[in-house]
Amino acid sequence: MISLKNFTFGYNSDEPKLNRVNLDIEASSFVLVCGATGSGKSTLLKAMVGLVPHFSGGVASGTRVVDGIDFSRAMPHESAHLIGFVNQQPEGAFVADTVVEELAFALEQLAIDRDEMIVRVDRALEATGLTHLRDRKLIELSGGQQQRVAIAAALSAGQKILILDEPTSALDPAAATELLEFIHDLCRTQNLTAIIAEHRIERLVDLVDQVIVVNSDGSVSMGAPETQLQNFKFVPPLIELGQRLNWQPISLSIADASARFAGEKLSEPKKIAHLELGSKSVEASAVTIDYSNTRAVAAVNLTAHIGEVIAVVGENGSGKTSLLWGLQGGKKLSAGSVSVAGRSLEGLSASARLDHLAMVPQQAADLLFMPTLAEEFAQSDEIAGVSPSTTATLFEKFSSRLDPAIHPRDLSCGQQLALVLAIQLVKDAPVVLLDEPTRGLDYAAKKQVAQVLRQLASKQKTLIFASHDVEFIAQTADRVIELSAGRIVSDLPVEAALGYRPGNVLASQIAQITKLDSVIALQQVVADG
Amino acid sequence: MMLTDAAKRVHPTSWWLIAITLAVVAGSASSLLQTGLIALASVALILLFREDAPWARSLGFYLSIAAAVVVIRVLFRIVFSFSGASDSVLIELPRYQVNFGLGAIELLGNVSAQAMLGALLDGSRLAAIILAIAVANTLANPRKLLKSAPGALYEIATSVSVAINLAPQLIESFARVRRARALRGQSAKRSALMGLLIPVLEDTLERSLLLAASMDARGFGRRAQQSVRELITARVLGLVGLTLNLIGVFILLSGFSAPLALGLLLLGLASAAISVRITSRRNARTSIARSRRTAIDYALLAACAVALVANFSWAVTTI
Repeated sequence: MISLKNFTFGYNSDEPKLNRVNLDIEASSFVLVCGATGSGKSTLLKAMVGLVPHFSGGVASGTRVVDGIDFSRAMPHESAHLIGFVNQQPEGAFVADTVVEELAFALEQLAIDRDEMIVRVDRALEATGLTHLRDRKLIELSGGQQQRVAIAAALSAGQKILILDEPTSALDPAAATELLEFIHDLCRTQNLTAIIAEHRIERLVDLVDQVIVVNSDGSVSMGAPETQLQNFKFVPPLIELGQRLNWQPISLSIADASARFAGEKLSEPKKIAHLELGSKSVEASAVTIDYSNTRAVAAVNLTAHIGEVIAVVGENGSGKTSLLWGLQGGKKLSAGSVSVAGRSLEGLSASARLDHLAMVPQQAADLLFMPTLAEEFAQSDEIAGVSPSTTATLFEKFSSRLDPAIHPRDLSCGQQLALVLAIQLVKDAPVVLLDEPTRGLDYAAKKQVAQVLRQLASKQKTLIFASHDVEFIAQTADRVIELSAGRIVSDLPVEAALGYRPGNVLASQIAQITKLDSVIALQQVVADG
Repeated sequence: MMLTDAAKRVHPTSWWLIAITLAVVAGSASSLLQTGLIALASVALILLFREDAPWARSLGFYLSIAAAVVVIRVLFRIVFSFSGASDSVLIELPRYQVNFGLGAIELLGNVSAQAMLGALLDGSRLAAIILAIAVANTLANPRKLLKSAPGALYEIATSVSVAINLAPQLIESFARVRRARALRGQSAKRSALMGLLIPVLEDTLERSLLLAASMDARGFGRRAQQSVRELITARVLGLVGLTLNLIGVFILLSGFSAPLALGLLLLGLASAAISVRITSRRNARTSIARSRRTAIDYALLAACAVALVANFSWAVTTI
């Protein structure tokens, strides 16, 4: 259906992003693309669509054939009737303001007659189950609905190939699972060929026919999921468990892994090591935050201790981000108060608060604005009033040493996070708040971040972070607070919050596999290797 | 609710037609009653027919500009009053003479009722025109208006309508970055503006590139084939049209010969129209939105035409 032959692409010939790629994807197959952050997963997908090299710069060679037609030099719009492409952020790629107009856009470009267009739009809405949203405004839809509209819009012209670049990255786990099942159903009922890049491999690995692995040297391989993932490094606990226990072939589903795990004879699982808690650090009482006509956080009481790591979980829109900003002071409280180490923060200016609370926001790169890494370091030292190169030294604890002349925007997600973390921690504030610190990171990078956070806790800091990432929380947190509609609905030790219990949507993969009490993380069952 | 539904069926160009009619009538109004009625009618139209959309929320803005225009006009008249001796004095103010070396200017002094009335009329006329334009700006959906642009302007119209969609996102990203910036603390050396502008600009640039890529992947940029001869004809006709119009306007303004000027202008417009028509053929697109004019639009067109003719003949007879 779609094939790349001898396809090479790069910005300079020394280190190609894609190196001699030979792929031949069959019709009606469901394909997962995986690889480390920055390995070129996106680049591969965009090469299939034709966006690389036309919208990326760089030099490409080789051929691209779609449905038997050679599109090697063609612009993306020339193959638009064959391929539908959906981005990570659908809201950034919308061109219209209502659902029906968004779906019609591709048909308008293809000059389909109006009566035929209405028939096709309605058919696409029906196939995607969106008929009830036909005349709604796009901005009024939830993230999951927007993603579905983007998919429907990519298929409205009868495209036979659907290419999705991390479609679930902005969704909460429930919405993400729902979306992936939706795509899978669509593929079976509409006879589509779907190619999808996804970090959270476990969500669809047991549904796909083929797995493409993009390596950091630009080489690419395709094969059956079991063989491809046997030795792959960036995998979720489910796969890593199989790798560590030398299962042949490895398990791709929780149910299968659980059955095999029951037959393993392993030593008694370890307990999670918690630090001894110090005195009270953050105390929030009756914190309430309102936006113009909605209450984001409703009378939340929260006490955190020195050396404690707290994860805040909840669906999109449950008030996690608002709560963090409320604690930090960037968002004014409608009611309630926050104190750190017994000292009330009321009336303190934003910069005075920085001595008590450091925060890493969701889009960490918003904090970066200097042209080079070296200047970011210098700027940070100057603002914090510390001796030169303090920030640089701190940064190297979180990341490998980098070229100081590099532009901060050219860093990978993980490196940017490390940089912002270093900048925010150089003031040595006793409390660190983080909003979704693992967004866009691969499993290896997440492990590093988890290590950094544990280190900080051991240095008498208090950490509070918001996250959707159950596996990351299992490695990092001591306590889990669940928010729903701005209220705390549960406040449990991490072993209980993520533990195995029928109906627990927060149960970690290891908890679901082992079904053992208080076992939630991989390092509890197999020694770190 | 019923009224806003009816308003959605009105073609956006019809709202502009109504607005222009109101503005023309307001421009030739000769009493406060007339200008007041036109202003009132404009505000009533907006309040009755506006939808719940971003562009429909600017009535307050237009009202304050209109009020400011009236106030400024009246204040100017008080400061630079040129009251005749026979006029009835309304307010007595001290008179000052200022000399800037270009002759003396008299400031303040007695303010007459006639002068005040004249100033109010002038100001209210401008205010009524502003409110008439507000009718078009708040009621005509800019997206629908852009969709009825000729095919030759398709790319420009699409860029503008996408920009309209992106504006709220820009505001949102400004707010987000400003809040994030506060987390870093202030630097003595660097201006805070840099820290705000660079992330926002980078954000905007990234978004624009993402959008451009996504639009192309969905077929934007497809064009029908057109022969070189057609292209050249269109370009030449466009250029000729522009030149004829320029010469026509020049002759018209210089007062040399009105019939010649009109002839040239008509010829220029015709040639430009043919050029746009040829270029539009390259645009092999269709549209799902049926922005056809309905009976309502033709009725409005007729009403506006009657109003304009009546206004014109009335203005002629009163002179």
